[in-house]
Amino acid sequence: MSEAQVKAPNKSPDAGVWLDQHGDYLFKYASFRLRDESAAEDAVQETFLAALKAYEKFEGRGSERTWLVGILKHKITDHFRRTAREAPMGQEQDEGPEHAEFFTRTDGWDHHWNNEYAPTDWHATPAQLVEQGDFWRVFHYCLSPLPQRTASAFTLREVDGLSSEEICEMLSITVNNLWVMLHRARLHLRNCLQKNWFGHKH
Amino acid sequence: MGWYEKAKHAVRFWLLRRLPPCKQTVEVISQSLERPLSVRERVLLKLHLWVCMWCVWYLEHLQIMRDTMRENASEPELDSPSTPGLSPEARERIKQAISRQ
Repeated sequence: MSEAQVKAPNKSPDAGVWLDQHGDYLFKYASFRLRDESAAEDAVQETFLAALKAYEKFEGRGSERTWLVGILKHKITDHFRRTAREAPMGQEQDEGPEHAEFFTRTDGWDHHWNNEYAPTDWHATPAQLVEQGDFWRVFHYCLSPLPQRTASAFTLREVDGLSSEEICEMLSITVNNLWVMLHRARLHLRNCLQKNWFGHKH
Repeated sequence: MGWYEKAKHAVRFWLLRRLPPCKQTVEVISQSLERPLSVRERVLLKLHLWVCMWCVWYLEHLQIMRDTMRENASEPELDSPSTPGLSPEARERIKQAISRQ
């Protein structure tokens, strides 16, 4: 048997092909959660490098993409831990806008919903946006004014369904921080959806 | 409005004055998606929701949002062509890094 034949089952994949097949997907996956394009690019690069080193362990079990996404998840977690160490939770506004104006009234009912921001019966639903293929674009648009960490925490909780404990550990925050962040993100996102999409009949 | 409607209205207003206001209630509503509420919190929330349609809608909207996000979490959002992929520069940089290995 020649050397080439012996090595064949474990031969390194063509990295260029890999990049073409999975690069965009991995990048979208990462930037959706990290909400930072350059950090997402780094995470993709680290993923490919780690994957090349560990290729023998993969041995073609399952799909290549699932395996790569598994590695990418670790890289995303590493990134969150690193930034959390460098910039610990500081000011209260780090958690996002409080939106006190939603509950400001001058008619003796202060701290109750201000009519302008109060929830209404929605005429359209997110399901319709999903059908049109617009849901994630709208989601992204509405979350973009929020602080990065709050938007990430919200995505990990509501989209990925991670537990509070996992998210707190990843972002180095307390569970009270997390609840405040989630509450503010929900307040903000709901208002944005209602104002721009569901509030009035088209 | 008949006397019964009027009385019901009066009771609701009276109650809303005495309960924690919407601003605090929406925080509790958000936490109800994160942890089991205490008995006291549950009772106050139920009463508030009985008299405040706005907060009923708020809770409903949070649930619709969560359900839609989780149902669509897997693939489509990522493969949609409208989301930008890797820039040509980033692609080139990564290609270089890989070939150096």
